[in-house]
Amino acid sequence: MRDNLGFALEGAWQVLAAGLLLGAGLPAVFALGIRSLAWGTGGAAEVAADARPHPAGRALAGLCFLVVVVGIGAGLYVILAAGGIA
Amino acid sequence: MTEATLILVLVIGTALAFDFTNGFHDTGNAMATSIATGALRPKVAVALSAALNLVGAFLSVEVALTVTNAVVKVQDSSGAPRPELTADHGYALLLIILAGLVGGVLWNLLTWLIGLPSSSSHALFGGLIGATIAGLGTAGVNWNGDGSKLDGVVGKVILPALMSPVIAGAVAAVGTWLVFRITAGVAERFTENGFRWGQIGSASLVSLAHGTNDAQKTMGVITLALIAGGHWSDTGAVPFWVKLSCALAIALGTYLGGWRIIRTLGKGLVEISSPQGMAAEASSAAVILASSHLGFALSTTHVATGSILGSGVGKPGAQVRWGIAGRMVAAWLITLPAAGVVGAAMWWLGHLLGGYAGPLVVFAVLAALAAYMFRRSQAQPVHPGNVNDEWDGTPSTARRQEVTA
Repeated sequence: MRDNLGFALEGAWQVLAAGLLLGAGLPAVFALGIRSLAWGTGGAAEVAADARPHPAGRALAGLCFLVVVVGIGAGLYVILAAGGIA
Repeated sequence: MTEATLILVLVIGTALAFDFTNGFHDTGNAMATSIATGALRPKVAVALSAALNLVGAFLSVEVALTVTNAVVKVQDSSGAPRPELTADHGYALLLIILAGLVGGVLWNLLTWLIGLPSSSSHALFGGLIGATIAGLGTAGVNWNGDGSKLDGVVGKVILPALMSPVIAGAVAAVGTWLVFRITAGVAERFTENGFRWGQIGSASLVSLAHGTNDAQKTMGVITLALIAGGHWSDTGAVPFWVKLSCALAIALGTYLGGWRIIRTLGKGLVEISSPQGMAAEASSAAVILASSHLGFALSTTHVATGSILGSGVGKPGAQVRWGIAGRMVAAWLITLPAAGVVGAAMWWLGHLLGGYAGPLVVFAVLAALAAYMFRRSQAQPVHPGNVNDEWDGTPSTARRQEVTA
């Protein structure tokens, strides 16, 4: 029982750390992408409806979405490399 | 047909039935939030999830033959059944597996009927543990492992069940909070649309992981039964037809959609919006993948429920129906013992009658109770047309038991 608890706590920290990085970090990057896209689109996308469009916002949004796609790709690679889930 | 062949056929049939219930029981884990926010139409969501489960089942290249070793001692470390159980073409072992599977299926159907997401792996393990205690005594159960790694009922079932929902919930809460902070000031009509795409992507990842994770367990059980019966000898591989039939069973179950459970997860816990849905599914996917990478067993149901609750905690001003969450936790706590009691009862029934009659009567009990629960479900059906109705407005089964606040 004590052995198992030790192993589990040790694993829990690793899962929490990886979870925060990928499971909360990637959505945050995605949100940043949405924010940039709204800034880039301007007009009705922002709450202040008279905002001007900014082309740089679109580029930044593209970068954010790229990071997210790479992150998902890494996740898929983990599934394949680990050979399934125990 | 000999007694041993009959029981083997019944074991395979019941295992595929379990895989099928596993599919529709867990559709909601991946797709409930996407259906609730309207990111995907209900039928499209279950079709996508089913396809990804099918693909995921074939991705599981690691042989899951030792899946029962985590909780019961019916195999040696190579995956071969223990020799004392394989006399008489494995009748003794097959009866334990059959009784365990029946316990798992019945618990899955009952929790589906009352719309509660509960862990299919716990139901399977519970059934097997109960049948093993009945058949071999408590010494047949691997309670704690040997202390060299995370193992046994405590290490592979109980501790992950306590920890994984909390971790998933914390990750989802942080993710939701960040997302709402970052997008504050962007018009909602703009964010809802963008986050729907993020939601579809993250939910797809959860579906894929589910197929890899859960179909494997049934493949391992069927292959164990084949080895016990002397029809297969390679402990390093699963026969192709087993892989194919398990993949199809879980995908079909997923496509059928456990609408009662989808409704509870998508509408019952939290009024969910697209950003929350994306944060919840991203948390589930990350926690499941990270755990699998580190070699920890966990239940996708526990993770998904924790994530959805976390997304409610993380959104400023969101309301979480803790009463429903409490009922779910209660169901989780009794899943293992309840499935175990059914598994044990079925073993005794089968053992008492023995011969041809034992397994046939056990199977008949399963069929009769399954038909009864299906009929009960028709009294208040939940389907793609009403799955998203207001939680308080429609007379769903779950709502009748809810105490009005």
